[in-house]
Amino acid sequence: MDKNQKLEFDVIVVGAGLSGSAAAAIAARSGLKVAIVERGQNPGSKNYFGGALYTHSLLEIYPDLWDRKPPLERPVTETGFWFLSKDGLVKATVQGGKVNSNPIDAYVALRAKFDAWWAEQAQKEGAFIIPKTLVVDFIRENGKVVGVKTDRDQGDIYAPVVIITEGVNNLLTQKLGLAKHDIKGDSAALAVKQLISIPAATINARFGLTDNDHGLAMSVMGDVSMGLPGLGFIYTGVDCVSVGVGVTLEALREAGIKPYELLQRYMNHPMIAPLIAGGRLMEYGAHIIPEGGWKDMPQLYTDGVLVAGDAASMVNALHWEGTNMAIVAGKCAAETAIEAHQKKDFSAKSLSSYRTRLDKRFIMTDLHQYRNLSHFLKTHPDFMAIYPTFINDALGMFFTGFGKPKGQLYKDILRSLTDRRPLLKAVGDIVAFGRTIIGI
Amino acid sequence: MFHALVSIKQVPDTTNIRIDPETNNLIRQGVPTILNPYDAHAVAAAVEWKRKLGGKVTIITMGPPAAVTSLRECIEMGADRAILISARQFAGADTWATSYVLSEVVKAVHEKDPIDLLFFGKQAIDGDTAQVGPGVAVRLDLPVVSYAVKIREVNLEERYVIIERKTESRNEVIKTSLPTALTCEKDIAEIPYASLPDLVYSLRYEPEVWNAESPITFDPALLGLKGSPTTVFKTGTPEKHIAGEVIKTEELGVDGAVKAALDKILGVEGMASILGVQK
Amino acid sequence: MTRRFWVYIEQEDGKAHPVAWELLGVARRLADEVNDNAVVEGILVGDNMEELAREAIQYGAQTVYVVDGPTFKNYLNKPYTTALSALVKKYDPEVLLVGATTLGRDLAGAVATSIGTGLTADTTHLAMGEVKGTVQKLLLATRPAFGGNVIATIVCRDYRPQMATVRPRVFTSAPRQADAKGEIVREVIPITPDMINAEILEFITNDAASVKLEYADIIVSGGRGLGGAKGFALIQELADALGGVVGSSRACVDAGWIKYDHQVGQTGKTVRPKLYIAAGISGAIQHKVGMQESDFILAINRDPHAPIFDVATMGIVGDLYEVIPAMIKEIRARKEAQHG
Repeated sequence: MDKNQKLEFDVIVVGAGLSGSAAAAIAARSGLKVAIVERGQNPGSKNYFGGALYTHSLLEIYPDLWDRKPPLERPVTETGFWFLSKDGLVKATVQGGKVNSNPIDAYVALRAKFDAWWAEQAQKEGAFIIPKTLVVDFIRENGKVVGVKTDRDQGDIYAPVVIITEGVNNLLTQKLGLAKHDIKGDSAALAVKQLISIPAATINARFGLTDNDHGLAMSVMGDVSMGLPGLGFIYTGVDCVSVGVGVTLEALREAGIKPYELLQRYMNHPMIAPLIAGGRLMEYGAHIIPEGGWKDMPQLYTDGVLVAGDAASMVNALHWEGTNMAIVAGKCAAETAIEAHQKKDFSAKSLSSYRTRLDKRFIMTDLHQYRNLSHFLKTHPDFMAIYPTFINDALGMFFTGFGKPKGQLYKDILRSLTDRRPLLKAVGDIVAFGRTIIGI
Repeated sequence: MFHALVSIKQVPDTTNIRIDPETNNLIRQGVPTILNPYDAHAVAAAVEWKRKLGGKVTIITMGPPAAVTSLRECIEMGADRAILISARQFAGADTWATSYVLSEVVKAVHEKDPIDLLFFGKQAIDGDTAQVGPGVAVRLDLPVVSYAVKIREVNLEERYVIIERKTESRNEVIKTSLPTALTCEKDIAEIPYASLPDLVYSLRYEPEVWNAESPITFDPALLGLKGSPTTVFKTGTPEKHIAGEVIKTEELGVDGAVKAALDKILGVEGMASILGVQK
Repeated sequence: MTRRFWVYIEQEDGKAHPVAWELLGVARRLADEVNDNAVVEGILVGDNMEELAREAIQYGAQTVYVVDGPTFKNYLNKPYTTALSALVKKYDPEVLLVGATTLGRDLAGAVATSIGTGLTADTTHLAMGEVKGTVQKLLLATRPAFGGNVIATIVCRDYRPQMATVRPRVFTSAPRQADAKGEIVREVIPITPDMINAEILEFITNDAASVKLEYADIIVSGGRGLGGAKGFALIQELADALGGVVGSSRACVDAGWIKYDHQVGQTGKTVRPKLYIAAGISGAIQHKVGMQESDFILAINRDPHAPIFDVATMGIVGDLYEVIPAMIKEIRARKEAQHG
C-alpha cells in the first residue's frame, strides 16, 4: 500500500470502548469503511469501570453472542442493596425469581479483557482499529466536520461522519461546542476501586454462591463514604472481587478526603474486610463517572458528528446503567451514520434522526425520569448516611429486643430515627426521593 | 547502503504476571504480551541509523504466530522487512538452540543482503539470560559489543563502527570492524512516535513466515527441546518471607513509630556500629 | 578422574570483582557435596596476574590457571572467550561458574556457545543433586524467571562443563586464609591480532556507575509513593544521615525521577545490605526479588496492605513525608548524643 495516500473512511469512531466498538461493528456490518481511533495500547487498556454488562445490549449488537464466547466473568444471580452501619450490615437482596432469567440479565466483566474482545468483534465485522493514537481536533471544510486530526505526524483521517465515544473526558465534544464545559464537580462521581484476586472456591464460600456460574453485584449504602453522598459497590468475578466506592467530586473536595482513604476505610469495614481478606491486589484505579445524566447531556449531533456513551453523559447512577446505554446509543449512532450515507447527507439536520432513535429507547426516557437525582442528593447530603444506618439499628433492635416490653422497643426504634432526623423531615425525604426517581 | 538486522522477542509483560495461589502455576491467560523493551530500543537505534545513512532494517523473531504483533510494532517504528520464524520443532528451545536457529537465519539473510550491524536487546525480560546475542555472534564469528549505550559512528566505507558500552564500573568506547553484533541498553535510542501513515502501514503489514523446512533447512537434532543442552528440572514459586511486626503512626504517633523502629534496628547485633548510632 | 569445579575470577585493572570470592565459596561447597576427587580451581585472564592469582589461592582456589599478557589487559569478548574456551577444552572441568556481572554474562554466553554446552544464567541457588537417569550428581542451578514470579531449576545432563552465571551478593564470600597453599599454572593461549576484531579506544568514568548499590551496607530506596522526583532529595537526606546509598523501585526509574543505576530489583540490581529501608515502595515481586535477602528491611508505606510488608522485618504504616523527617531528626539526635 502507498504510505502517502490520503487516509479516508466512511465513518470514524473515536474511542474503542463499549459504545465505540458497538457503533463500529454495526456500521462496518452494513458495508461502510470504518476506522476506530483508540488512544490506548489496546482497546480496553484505558477502561476499568462499568463492571456489570447487560445481556440485552450485547445481544442487540451480536444476536449470536454466545457462539462468540464473550469473556464474561460471572452472571449476576444475586443483586440488591447492602446497608452498612458503623459495624453492622442489613442486606436487601434478590435472587432466583426474576433475577434467574434466561439468559441472565447482567454479567460481571473485567473491562480490560472484555473491551479488547468487544473491539476484536468489531474488527471481525470489518472495522479497522488504529491504536495508540489520540484524536486532538477535527478537520473542517466549510464549517463542517470532515475528519479528525491526530497527535501523530501526517495524522489526518477523513470521513464524512465522526462518531465521538471519547468517554468522560469530553474534550472533543467541548471543542465542537456541543458540551459547554467540563463535567461539573457536583454531577460527576469519582469512583475508586480495587480488584482483588481471591480463589474462586473462596469467593463461592464467602458470598454463598453455589458455583462459578453464580455471582453477586451489590450497591452498598450507608457507612461507606465517610458521610459523603456516595455509593459503594462490590461484585464478584470468577476469581476476583471488585470493591469500590463513588462520591461526587465536589463533596470529596469540600471534605478534603483523599479517594484512597475513602476506599481504604470502606475495605476495612468489619462487614467488608472478611470478604476480601487474604486477597491479592491486582489493580487499583480511579475513574470519573458522569452522573449528571439528562441535565449534563451535550448537544448530541452537529454537521458530520454524533456523540454517544459517557461523552454524552449517558449514565443512570441509581440503576448502575451506563454500559447498556453506551452500547445501544452506539448502535443508534451507527444506524444514523448508515442512513446519512444512503441519503448522502451528513448535515446536522440529516443526523438529527439520531435523537429520534434515542427517544424511542429507554435511554432518553430513563435519563429524563431521573433528571433530578443528582439535585436531590445535593440537597439531601446525608440521605445516604442516615437511612442505611437507621435500618441497621431498627432491625438490630427488633431482632434483639428479647425480654423487653415490646412497646418500648418500637419507641426506641422510632427514637433512633428521630435522633437522626425529625420525623416530618424524614417523611419529606422519602416523598422527595420517591418523586425524584419517578421523575415528577 | 546500510543494512541492520534486529533480532527481537515477544515476551509476556512480566509486571502483569500472576501466580495461581492454589496451584502455584503461572497464569499465562490474559497476560498481555509485549515487544521486549530492550529490543524496542534496539529497533529504534537501527532505524535511527538507517535514516542517517540510507538503507534498510530487517527484523527477525522466533516465536509463535502471535508474535506478528511485535513485528508490526517494529515496522511501525520504521523497519522495512520482518521475518517470523515459527514452527513447532522450534518450541522448547533454550538459549543454545535459539541462537542456532537465529544464526542460521541471519546467515541466510546476509547471503542475499549483506548485514552491517546485528542488533539485540541486552536481555529479554521473561528469561533475563542475556545469552542469545553473544551466542549468535559467536556462531557467526562476529565481534560482539554487549550493553551498548550509544553508537558513535558507523563508517560504511572504512567498514568500522564505534560503540560505547556500559560495564559496572565505567563506560568503554570500542571500535570494531563491520559486521558487528551488539546488545543494547535502553539508552541506545529513544522509541520514535511513528507517523500515522507508518502506523497504518504497519497494522496492515504481513511479515514473511519461515518454518523449519522453508526457505532454509536446519539440522533437526539441534532444534527445540532436543537441541537444548539445558532442561528445566523443576519449577516453583519463590519462598514466602515471614512478615515482621507492623506499627502504625496513627496509633503510636510519628515520633513513637520512628523510635520503635530505630530501637528494633539497633537491637540487631552489629547494627549500632554500622549506623554509628548508640542503641 | 579429578572432577574440577572451576570459578572464573573476574578482574578489572588487576582487582578482582568480589563475586569471584563468593563463587570460590560456592564451588567449595559444591565440591564437598560430591566428595570424590573434587577440586576447586580458579581461572584468571588478564595482564600481570601473579598477585591476584595468589589472592585467589587464599580464597580457596587449589589451583589457579593464569592466562597472562598485554593482549588480555582489558576485557574484550573475543580474546577472553578464546582463552577460556581453550582451557575448558584442555582440562574438561565438571562445573564452570562465572559471576553474573555485565562482563561475566557477556563472556559466559560466548564461551558456552563456542564449547557447545548448556549455561544457566543469573542463578541464585546452586546445589549438586541426583537426577533420574544420570549416574553422577548434576549441578542443580536455580534461577528466577518471569520477573521473579517463578523459580526454575535447570540441569545440563549431557554436556560439560555445566555452566552457570551467578548473581553477585547472593552467596557470602569464601573466607580468606593467608597461609592457604595452592598451585599457579601458567597457560599460553596464542592470540593473533586478526583474531581480536575489536579495540578499546577509551574509558569514560560513569558517575552513575559509582552508585555501588550491590555492596552497600545501608540502602534507602524510594518508590512511587514519593510522588515525584523531588522526593529523592528526602531519601538522599536519610541515606546521608545513615551513611547509606540511595536505591529506587523500577517505577521511579521509568518515570524518570532517578537514574537506572539506582534501580533495585529484577531488572536492576540485587542487593543484600545490612539495612534496607523501602519508602513508598508497594513491593511488586520484581522489586522484592532484588532486596528480600537484606538482613533488616524497614518498610514505610501508607497502605497497610502493601505487599512490601510481607517481606519487611518491620513496617511502619504512615506518611513517609512525616516518618522520614522524624527519622532523620532522631538519628541525628542520637548521633549527637553519642559524640557530644
